[in-house]
Amino acid sequence: MKRNPDKYFHSIEIVEEKCIGCTICMKVCPTQAIRVKNEVAVTIPERCIDCGECIRVCPQNAIIPLTTEYQDLKKFKYTVALPSPVLYSQFGPDVMPNDILLALKKIGFDDVYDQAWSCEVISKAIELFLEDKKHYRRPIISSTCPAVVRLIQIRFPSLLDLIVPVEYPRELSAKEIKSKITDKLKIPEKDIGLIHITPCPAKMISIYEPPTREKSHLDGAIAIKDIYGALLNALKDVTDSETILQRSGGIGIGWAISGGEVKGLKFENCLAVSGVKDTIRILEDVESGILSGIEFLECLVCPGGCIRGPLTVQNPHIARTRIEKLIKMFGEKSRVNEEKVKKLYKKGYFFFKKRIDAAPVMPLSKDPSEAIRILKRREEVLKELPGKDCGACGAPDCRTFAEDVAKGIALIDECVFRIIQKAEVKHKM
Amino acid sequence: MNNNSVLFEEDFKIKGWDFTNAGEASLKIKNYLKEVGIAENILKRVAITSYEAEMNIVLYAKEGTINFKVTPKKVLLEVKDRGPGIEDVELAMKEGYSTATEEIRNMGFGAGMGLPNIKKNADMFVIKSEPGKGTKLNIEVYLK
Ligand SMILES: Nc1ncnc2c1ncn2[C@@H]1O[C@H](COP(=O)(O)OP(=O)(O)O)[C@@H](O)[C@H]1O
Ligand code: SF4
Ligand SMILES: [Mg+2]
Repeated sequence: MKRNPDKYFHSIEIVEEKCIGCTICMKVCPTQAIRVKNEVAVTIPERCIDCGECIRVCPQNAIIPLTTEYQDLKKFKYTVALPSPVLYSQFGPDVMPNDILLALKKIGFDDVYDQAWSCEVISKAIELFLEDKKHYRRPIISSTCPAVVRLIQIRFPSLLDLIVPVEYPRELSAKEIKSKITDKLKIPEKDIGLIHITPCPAKMISIYEPPTREKSHLDGAIAIKDIYGALLNALKDVTDSETILQRSGGIGIGWAISGGEVKGLKFENCLAVSGVKDTIRILEDVESGILSGIEFLECLVCPGGCIRGPLTVQNPHIARTRIEKLIKMFGEKSRVNEEKVKKLYKKGYFFFKKRIDAAPVMPLSKDPSEAIRILKRREEVLKELPGKDCGACGAPDCRTFAEDVAKGIALIDECVFRIIQKAEVKHKM
Repeated sequence: MNNNSVLFEEDFKIKGWDFTNAGEASLKIKNYLKEVGIAENILKRVAITSYEAEMNIVLYAKEGTINFKVTPKKVLLEVKDRGPGIEDVELAMKEGYSTATEEIRNMGFGAGMGLPNIKKNADMFVIKSEPGKGTKLNIEVYLK
């Protein structure tokens, strides 16, 4: 995979040759991180949260996720697949999680790890944290969705301390398996490839530039859609008499859908929010101090949860129904040994290795008086614009365009309505 | 620069019982402050006070305005409404006192903490009310 040369690593790339500058992605970007310049969409790296909304809507398929490619696995001597529980929702009604884990081995992974199991363990660890920090600020916010973490870093830095400092499932799975394999197989660490099977490109940021530790235990992430065909084929050859690889029950599997993470917690006053707009709105309320009585807040940028990740295959409604069925089938009782988790918790096993840094984009300038100048100028410019949010200027809406003008990176006369107005005036003269 | 010179100012119109836009003015005020790089703790105090004042207009008054000002030393809010006013201001300022109807309580408002919270979070707070006419709040949060 290619590394983006930008200051911040991003898991999304716009292919210039394919992009026709149609403005569709620019319009849906929830953080106004895209502009169209010279008929090509470009991203503003500081503002991008890797949510993948743009990938979903691009009619030209010009926006590609920078996930690990299947061929990249060749460079490892031993590979392990760590599938997101979302993978269990992607196949027909008779395909069981264990079949899918077996199929992953058939398509070339040397081993698999049921990541949904780590979800279940983490549910317990989060419970312990909430009890442990009873008197701490509330609500505590989930750390699972990397796009949400990024969103908080750039737009809500005052909420960083509320993110539960417990390692997210993919990282915990990788940590577990790495220590086991290196001891058992006597293979050098660099030859082992721990690969997450992912519903979204956002996971790549937490692998290449994890905000919570120096280096991730994971070595890459393959898109669900990139191995879907191979898995379908392999599933035909899976016979159910083979080994049992699944450890998780309904609690872990449930993490694939919105509300799944909070369902695993014994606390009542929890809230699950999904979709970028709703996530931003609820975080605004938390920041303003007007959301009270909530113990734990789960936010996922994909509407309905990870089953709607941009790199999934199955219709998200079918996927949700499938997950709900699996939850029933495997039960909502935790399969985790609480005492064992408690011991590990006390040792600090679950915690982040460093604090998540802020990367604020809101201040219009580092210099407060310059920030005020830009703010005032933006409001002035905004009054001169037609408010049609047409996007023809290359900015997603009039307000963002006005801000670009105020910052000196766009010219007010790039507004097409002003161009037309001027032409009309000239014509009348 | 004069300490009282106004760096930024904006007026917001608030309509009673308009739940579509309820809270929007406070959100804008908070985001203006974020954009000029105001410290987090001050941001939050302004956000709470403006939200409570705005919601009181939405819940109890016919219509009102919020005038928002930033000077080098402080953030100022002047919140005025045309509405029923408050008979006994001292009583209204008590924690837990509320005349909110069942309907309002069901929406999650009416804990009677709005005005006390404004007082707690503001560095300067004056409330004046004329029964039958309306209510006026002056709120200041100091930047340092
Ligand atoms: N702008 C206003 N106009 C009329 N009455 C008001 C206004 N603001 C507050 N009040 C009265 O003061 C009471 C206390 O207000 P507040 O402390 O905000 O608590 P709450 O809104 O939860 O009732 C309200 O129940 C209401 O009777
Ligand atoms: S909601 Fe889930 S699938 Fe979507 S970006 Fe976040 S982690 Fe990825
Ligand atoms: Mg109130």
